[in-house]
Amino acid sequence: MTDAVLGFDTSAAHCAAAVVSDGQILASRTEAMEKGQAERLMPMLEEVLAEAGLTWRDLSAIGVGTGPGNFTGVRISVAAARGLALSLGIPAIGVTTFDALSFGLSAPVVTLVDARRDAVWLAAQDLSPMQADLSALPDNLRGRHFVGHVAEAAATALGGTAVAPAHPLAVAIALIAEARRGTPQPRPAPLYLRAADAAPSSDPPPVILP
Amino acid sequence: MDGTLTFLGLESSCDDTAAAVVRHVPGQTPLILSSVVSGQTDLHAAFGGVVPEIAARAHAERLDLCIEQALQQAGIELHELDGLAVTSGPGLIGGVLSGVMTAKGIAAGAGLPLVGVNHLAGHALTPRLTDGLAFPYLLLLVSGGHCQFLLVDGVEHFQRLGGTIDDAPGEAFDKTAKLLGLPQPGGPSVEAEARQGGPKRFNFPRPLLDRPGCDLSFSGLKTALLRARDSLIAEKGGITVQDRRDLCAGFQAAVAEVLAEKTRRALAVYLERRPAEPALAVAGGVAANEAIRSSLEQLCAAAQVRFFAPPLRLCTDNAAMIAWAGIERTRSGHPQQSDLVARPRWPLDQSAPALIGSGKKGAKA
Repeated sequence: MTDAVLGFDTSAAHCAAAVVSDGQILASRTEAMEKGQAERLMPMLEEVLAEAGLTWRDLSAIGVGTGPGNFTGVRISVAAARGLALSLGIPAIGVTTFDALSFGLSAPVVTLVDARRDAVWLAAQDLSPMQADLSALPDNLRGRHFVGHVAEAAATALGGTAVAPAHPLAVAIALIAEARRGTPQPRPAPLYLRAADAAPSSDPPPVILP
Repeated sequence: MDGTLTFLGLESSCDDTAAAVVRHVPGQTPLILSSVVSGQTDLHAAFGGVVPEIAARAHAERLDLCIEQALQQAGIELHELDGLAVTSGPGLIGGVLSGVMTAKGIAAGAGLPLVGVNHLAGHALTPRLTDGLAFPYLLLLVSGGHCQFLLVDGVEHFQRLGGTIDDAPGEAFDKTAKLLGLPQPGGPSVEAEARQGGPKRFNFPRPLLDRPGCDLSFSGLKTALLRARDSLIAEKGGITVQDRRDLCAGFQAAVAEVLAEKTRRALAVYLERRPAEPALAVAGGVAANEAIRSSLEQLCAAAQVRFFAPPLRLCTDNAAMIAWAGIERTRSGHPQQSDLVARPRWPLDQSAPALIGSGKKGAKA
């Protein structure tokens, strides 16, 4: 057994995986795909492990992207990570897209994630994760550094600077998980910043007469 | 090797998260070493039905907990298993995907074979888990999501003789409860009211009885109940407790009569095959309804067909049936890698014409 950490993410239109050990990247792969992550993920994990010259038993922790992002996509990875953690007897550590995209950047950044429906999810060190319309980004973010989805447009609109992530998503997730490995972590759970689309039933029950 | 197989089963296709461990020694009665079911009724209660996204969110965070509990209760460790089986369809795709991915993670980490199981096959093979039924037998699957007659010829061979063309009876019970201000799930609450009501006061339709074949329909019955309720409300501003009991009794009598008559026709088709030991088995939560069950029992007694109803916990959604189906499929040598692709639609009988959801994506179930 080595100290390697496997990180992966399917929170958006991609399938990404990486293996790190002691801060070094042993393997990293990102494939763009609209769908099919559920079929592609496990083979891709085995491929990056093989590329790193490792097997499942060499892992000391799993890092998994918890979004926010595509609900089903996030669940694909989180469910796989929890299954792997159970069978390997190692921790699975959830890492948000916010933490992953801002990891390793020198300046404080506002992290943006595509929320569809002309909206973004954003977060910063001094700003709890929230949803905002693309056309109405919060004015108090003026002049900041932006990373992630539509970072360029946000920087232009708010007079800030767009920066690129320091690492591929899965690499950042693996590195963060490696750093957190020493302290107890909750089981990974998807970060949902939008409630399920469902309205409580509107038909009132009939009046029951005495 | 004595051929013993011990499987972990996972189920997450609707609103129950379930894990179970089943062991089978050839020639012996299968043993359910554990069967954990974590329901979600409370999560969906406010919405008058199962909300797929809410269900998926719950499954993703409960599956591993259920599995740990099932392994612990069975007193078994993953490495002692011979394989895993997971529901890979049909059902609500978010939940199915959560189950399939959890299973893939476990299978990879533990180096275990993984078998994809059709949820309906899980129900259909349950009488072999509980009563060791020999093929061929007739199965009436009657639940909140399904209603069909299946001629079970083998582990991989199912012929659908008929089924609902719209709602499932369990769904109709739930909607009836909702329309009458009764608690969910509707099956037990409508049944309890019906016990104190008169079935003849309201004359509800018996859909499709006038047509040959074994297909059923329940959506018109629901509409008839709504009309009867609304005319009472129009008349006096509400319904009395006795009105409600009579409405429930009338509704339940209509469902029971339709199911009995269609079962009679399905039995006739089945008996043409001259099975050595003719048997009808029921599965699904609606099979717990005493009025429906007793009408089916009478029918079987008259036709000299043995009647089997697995215990309720194995009639409703559970993972023991999935583990068992995994064992059966493994013994039959049929598991395919392609069965691990999660799919919302997956009819057991691929040759029967579609009853529901017959759009470009194909039949639902």
